[in-house]
Amino acid sequence: MRFVFDEDASAFRAAVRDLLDKECGPADVRAAWDSDAGFSAARWKQLAEMGVVGLTIAEADGGLGLDETGLVLLLEEAGRVALPEPLIETTAVGAPLLQALAPDRLAGVASGDTVVTVGLSHCPAVSGAAGADLLVLERDGALHAVAAPDVDLTPVESVDHGRRLARVDFAPAAATVIAAGDEARAAVALAFDRYAWASSAVLCGLADRMLELAAEYAKQRHQFGVPIGSFQAVKHKLADALVKLDFARPVVHRAAFSIARDDPDRAVHVSMAKAYASEAADLAARAALQVHGAIGYTWEHDLHLFMKKAWALGAAWGDAAWHRRRVADAVLPRLPR
Amino acid sequence: MNVVVCVKQIPDPATPGELDASTKTLRRSGSIILDDSDAYGVEMGLQLADKAGGGEVILVSMAPNNENKGLRTALAMGAAKALLISDEALAGSDALSTAKVLAKAIERADADLILTATESTDGYTGTIPAQVAELLGLPMVTFAKHIEVDGDRVKVQRQTEAGYDEVESPLPAVVSVTAGVVEPRYPSFKGIMAAKGKPVDELKVADLGLDAGQVGWAGARQEIADVSAAEERKAGEIVEDEGDGAERIVAFLEQLKVI
Repeated sequence: MRFVFDEDASAFRAAVRDLLDKECGPADVRAAWDSDAGFSAARWKQLAEMGVVGLTIAEADGGLGLDETGLVLLLEEAGRVALPEPLIETTAVGAPLLQALAPDRLAGVASGDTVVTVGLSHCPAVSGAAGADLLVLERDGALHAVAAPDVDLTPVESVDHGRRLARVDFAPAAATVIAAGDEARAAVALAFDRYAWASSAVLCGLADRMLELAAEYAKQRHQFGVPIGSFQAVKHKLADALVKLDFARPVVHRAAFSIARDDPDRAVHVSMAKAYASEAADLAARAALQVHGAIGYTWEHDLHLFMKKAWALGAAWGDAAWHRRRVADAVLPRLPR
Repeated sequence: MNVVVCVKQIPDPATPGELDASTKTLRRSGSIILDDSDAYGVEMGLQLADKAGGGEVILVSMAPNNENKGLRTALAMGAAKALLISDEALAGSDALSTAKVLAKAIERADADLILTATESTDGYTGTIPAQVAELLGLPMVTFAKHIEVDGDRVKVQRQTEAGYDEVESPLPAVVSVTAGVVEPRYPSFKGIMAAKGKPVDELKVADLGLDAGQVGWAGARQEIADVSAAEERKAGEIVEDEGDGAERIVAFLEQLKVI
């Protein structure tokens, strides 16, 4: 299969990069870390005006009617700036889920007025819950849509302050149910795969940026009278991480295609993406930290912002080991555990 | 109300520019983008046309090789169409030749208002807006930090060093805007898609009724005699503070006659 992005996808990506370069620098990410919701409502609105937030929503409901293949490059861009806004929760997971099960609840989502997050029961800490206006929550095999005033949040500490976590309590009722039984089960499995895939795309962007920062630093920092980037050991470290990232990207793109086309092997493709991207971002973070002489370990250094998000997303929605196991389970005869 | 906005497509400042040693001019072969300083005029034009309840924004640009990538950005922001003048005869044009070309193109657009930036980000001559106004025989207001159109007059707050002047002019007029005039919008995805279908009329020098001898190297009245690298900044003097730091600073400032 020949898989290339069309001219529109590249143009969208360039436009989003332009906006994020100007509106989401490291100082802006730090400001979001210190805010109540964990993100900037103003920047979310700008992304909505551009069409990013409603990208996966049908045109009739105010969106662009595009799918995962249209979103994947933008998620990478979000990773490149450690975007604190809930693009994964709302655009990659929440909006398509509501589109399928409860399109009447999509009001205000594409315009950026209604932020959505999805909480799945095997992951008790819900990401983006603090800033969400509408929460889709799995309880006892059913999916419920609940407005923010009807839930109680208990904050849970997150390694990435730009990704707020909370336990969510609410009173399930017949009126809140949007799916039950087999329909709910299938929707939960799809939402999980979307979370894992979207995290993979963001991880690729994070890895890309961390390697860029490290390469820049390796050219600036002199030791023994020459830039440290001229030492083979430093070069190889960064090259190895770049190779890992370059191998992860096409797998993430393939997973986007599989979700969009409802491929029967969707789960396997998503797991391959999450395993590759988590490992690529982990290696990029380690290489960047070492090239920086460990200075990225402090809060004050920009590298810190990207590493924290990479660690959080690498572990979220199944880490590399878990996803490798899922691939093995699918393609090999059952292995002894 | 029809607003013409003069826009320049420049080499991306993110990639270091290079001079062609033989012509002593900027190489324009790399990635070309809309000059950031022109986005303000485009946005202002869109807002004024919107406020007037009708009319459109028409872009006028001169660029080598039918380059239109920067124009697409401005069209994605909402401009209706573009006139692009691209001709090998234009290579080597000085500011006045450029102004002649732009003025001839603007004449075709039936404009109520012509907006320009104060100066381009790659050339910095800052002379073209006034030259265009003179060639068109129109009034000119420079350094606008606020623009309002009231009937057939334009009211401008004109930035000065001390504050601003309030200036009024009959329309049509040429107004150059500063970066403070409005906040340019980011092109939306729908805008980017729509821009692909918007007309970009490509014109040659002959189409404008100009003679090739009036423009380009042939028509240039200015010549670049020499180019040289900017002098490197000298390293500062590092003074070890041995308890007399304050006195040394005072002595230094006295030597500069600052105090």
